[in-house]
Amino acid sequence: MKKLLVLVLLCLSIFAFGKTTINFWHAMSGSRLGAVDAIVEGFNAENPDIEVVAQFTGSYAETLTKAIASYRAGDQPHIVQVYEVGLQTMLDSGAIKPVFELSGPDYDWGDVIGPILDYYTVGDQLYSMPFNSSSAILYYNKDIFRAAGLDPNEPPSTFEELYEMGKKIVESGAAQGGISFGWPAWVFEQMHSVHGQFYANNENGRAAKATEVFFNDDFGVKVLAEWIKWAQAKVFLYGGREYDANQAFLSKQVAMLIQSTSSVSSIESKADFEMGTTFLPSIPGYPKGNSVIGGATLWVMKGHTDDEYEAIWKFFQYLMRTEVTAEWHKSTGYFPATNSAVKILMDQGWFSENPNHLTAFLQILSGTRIPEAQGVRLGNFVAIRDIVDGAIENAIQYTGSDYEGEAKRILDDAAEKTNTALEEYTLIYGK
Amino acid sequence: MKQRKSSVFLSYLILTLAIVAIMFPIYYAFTMSTFNEKEAYSFPPKFLPSVHAFDNYVKAWETVNMGRLIFNSSFIAVTVALAKIFLSMLAAFAFTYFGNFKGKFFFFTVILITHMLPLPIRIVPTYELMRTFGWVDTYRALTIPFFASATGTLLFRQLFMTVPSSLSDAARIDGAGPMRFLFSVLIPLSKTNVGALFLIEFTYMWNEYLWPMIVTNSNNMRVVQIGIKMLLASEAQAAEWNIIMAGAIIAMIPPLIMLLLFQKTFMEGFSLKEEK
Amino acid sequence: MNSRFPNKLLPYLLLLPSVVVVIVFLIVPTIQSLYLSFFRVSPFGDRLIFVGWYNFTKLFKSSDYVDSLMITLIFAVFVVIIGLTVGMLLSVLLNQRLKGLQFYRTLFIWTYAISPAVAGTIWALMFSPSSGPVTYLLKTFFGAEVNWMMDGRVALLAVIIAASWKMLGYNIIFFLSGLQTIPQELTEAAAIDGASSVRRFFRITVPLLSPTTFFLLIMNTLYAFFQVFGLIDIMTKGGPGDATQVLVYKLYRDGFINLDTGFASAQSIVLFVFVAILTVLQFRFAERKVFYG
Repeated sequence: MKKLLVLVLLCLSIFAFGKTTINFWHAMSGSRLGAVDAIVEGFNAENPDIEVVAQFTGSYAETLTKAIASYRAGDQPHIVQVYEVGLQTMLDSGAIKPVFELSGPDYDWGDVIGPILDYYTVGDQLYSMPFNSSSAILYYNKDIFRAAGLDPNEPPSTFEELYEMGKKIVESGAAQGGISFGWPAWVFEQMHSVHGQFYANNENGRAAKATEVFFNDDFGVKVLAEWIKWAQAKVFLYGGREYDANQAFLSKQVAMLIQSTSSVSSIESKADFEMGTTFLPSIPGYPKGNSVIGGATLWVMKGHTDDEYEAIWKFFQYLMRTEVTAEWHKSTGYFPATNSAVKILMDQGWFSENPNHLTAFLQILSGTRIPEAQGVRLGNFVAIRDIVDGAIENAIQYTGSDYEGEAKRILDDAAEKTNTALEEYTLIYGK
Repeated sequence: MKQRKSSVFLSYLILTLAIVAIMFPIYYAFTMSTFNEKEAYSFPPKFLPSVHAFDNYVKAWETVNMGRLIFNSSFIAVTVALAKIFLSMLAAFAFTYFGNFKGKFFFFTVILITHMLPLPIRIVPTYELMRTFGWVDTYRALTIPFFASATGTLLFRQLFMTVPSSLSDAARIDGAGPMRFLFSVLIPLSKTNVGALFLIEFTYMWNEYLWPMIVTNSNNMRVVQIGIKMLLASEAQAAEWNIIMAGAIIAMIPPLIMLLLFQKTFMEGFSLKEEK
Repeated sequence: MNSRFPNKLLPYLLLLPSVVVVIVFLIVPTIQSLYLSFFRVSPFGDRLIFVGWYNFTKLFKSSDYVDSLMITLIFAVFVVIIGLTVGMLLSVLLNQRLKGLQFYRTLFIWTYAISPAVAGTIWALMFSPSSGPVTYLLKTFFGAEVNWMMDGRVALLAVIIAASWKMLGYNIIFFLSGLQTIPQELTEAAAIDGASSVRRFFRITVPLLSPTTFFLLIMNTLYAFFQVFGLIDIMTKGGPGDATQVLVYKLYRDGFINLDTGFASAQSIVLFVFVAILTVLQFRFAERKVFYG
């Protein structure tokens, strides 16, 4: 009895005094929520003196908003997951503690996969912790390909092929539509980087703050005009701004889907058809670029104690552990963040058993590491994504026949709004 | 008066058709909540209920911790409804039984201004205010800013004005103070109106979506409406309609019970008002 | 006029709680809105730059805002017209002394218990492009392919239907209680005089019901402007394009997602002017009948 009492007191005292609590806000929902919880549980079990409390705070945009609001109120979380779009805002916020300050100058980040490191590095310093990085790939339904008389092992690699195959699929009645995609503005950015095109000036805003976008130039117009053409031929069925397109793909309304790699696991587990994946389609005649990193990283907020920062750094090191990042990849489809994790996965034969998990890797490793493909960094990027999403949605409703003219008109309008947003951003933060 | 048979038949016909049209979405939502995943995705859609309701409701309940959300929503809705009723009764009493005290018109205007300032108009600064007070993510933020009610004040003012002055004269002669008069005469007289107002304000707060979405962060403070949003979001990879609809059905039950309980009072509360 | 209690201090004490709440949570924030509308504010709120009328000129120069205004008006007009006409017709039918109507009435006011968010959820399913029953039925019986994610007009129609549907229960409740105050003898007398039921409806019911109708007109307009946020957020998030971006949604998006506090505040002020006009109209024409949520 006495022993029990002591034990209880001991536990209580740990709860009351001994534990460092780390609040971690994230936007991982659905099956990914479980994967985050598993990581956190693993870490907490290993570190009885630290308790990481993971909290789902809504979509990426909502999470960013809430993090900002909480910082202003003085009760910010320790760690917040912010998507790539929030990069510039976070850098300028004055509210963050850069990761390189936690790690110390001597820490060797060499194991982190190159393109991921590139994206979040500013002036050779890493600002936020790589966590869930993804890219976009093309998913396709092999059963529908067969039904339409197409070779299920020859998915389209160019826009032209995609359009022809899509038409065949629609005309044969094998599916209602050819392709759908999620995150349209992001896919539009992907198209620029894949074809080695800048999206904005000052090297996509990485050399200095961007003040002007280029997406209404010939290349952007060409891409959007193609999409309009696809939409009119029912080859392209619009699928919403985030993940709604997955549903159209899963319910076999469309044969193809361009979506984040983070959907791989979820789609594989739900699809009752044979699914294949391949690289993003391209337009011949442009320089070779690379698909760009998407997803999110973990930012550490200012205003906490050194003990807490130490605990956070412990947590980050745990995240980079080979088996943790490998497991994270397996259960979601996000890139494993380190080269050693990739190696382990290969040794385990994971990729040969799950070729769809390999596609995004091959795509990013086969591309080039040029500035055009390092990722776009814009102020007010959240608003800008919104503008471009809206522009794409307007474009695909067009019923006339002057695709290029309409695409140009819409993109010019969007570019003008975007440039205003950039200008307003520099008004506050300087150039 | 006897109505002609044909017109009676026509009435029933139109009403029945309308009922079918109006109830169909609710019926289908319920049906969906009984499907398993396969049935939910099937195309063409199925229109007859299946047998998986229990699993779906349990899953919806557990995914967003529905018990807590229902408690929060109910607590907030009841608190606000009662506070609004009470504060507006006090105000209405002040406006009707104390003659033309100084500043009466001014205060009346101030309270009426509530009408002109729906939350979206002042949402950014109100949110900032919550931060200044340190109220973000608390019940205080979810309730106190809603306590004023122009509606209630006007309603009770109208009602009190129709109360025969003999009653207050009698009270004064008995030596009863104003507060006693309020509590023992006016409030009992207003029962039906209180019932009606309670239903309206309860439903209004129960339905509130934008404010809780902005002002709460933690799972413990979420309300039912946000739970629905989270159900939708948490299955973002591909909407699991069967689970979502189970959540939607759960979310409509408490206000439905309120409506059924107060339905009669509600109607009376309003017709009474028109008779004067 | 009621007889008075002689207390001097008490009325102020009675008013105090309400007045404090109004001033602190309503009036002060509104004044702050006005103040902020002349600034650009950094997302983290640490920088404030005076920009004069910039936010306002941006509003009216921006095609987005003007579009949003038009969409809101179209949305509101449809929601109000559908809500009032369908609500009134059904209520008149429900107000007859016929067997079983009590049961009907209960079913008809059911949607009052449904929140805009839940209504949005249900109708998002109904219109779901992949497996929604509305999509399916339209396709099967009319060969029409509707995809509200791709077609702005369909999306607008879908949110109008959802919003009107949700409001129907409310409208019927109020029309029914309004109808109960119309003396039965009046319509019966007219019937004996040989007036057809259509005539009776337009000559007697409609005019006598007009206070209720006017009240509901205001309530439905306010609903269409301010309370549909949840419905829009769940169904369309303002899309596709900006086809369903009503003013409240735009305000939220600019203020809380795009983090443009100054611009959002300017929008608040415009909305305020609108509500002020509506309120003045309401007090002008229907002083007696005020009942808000």
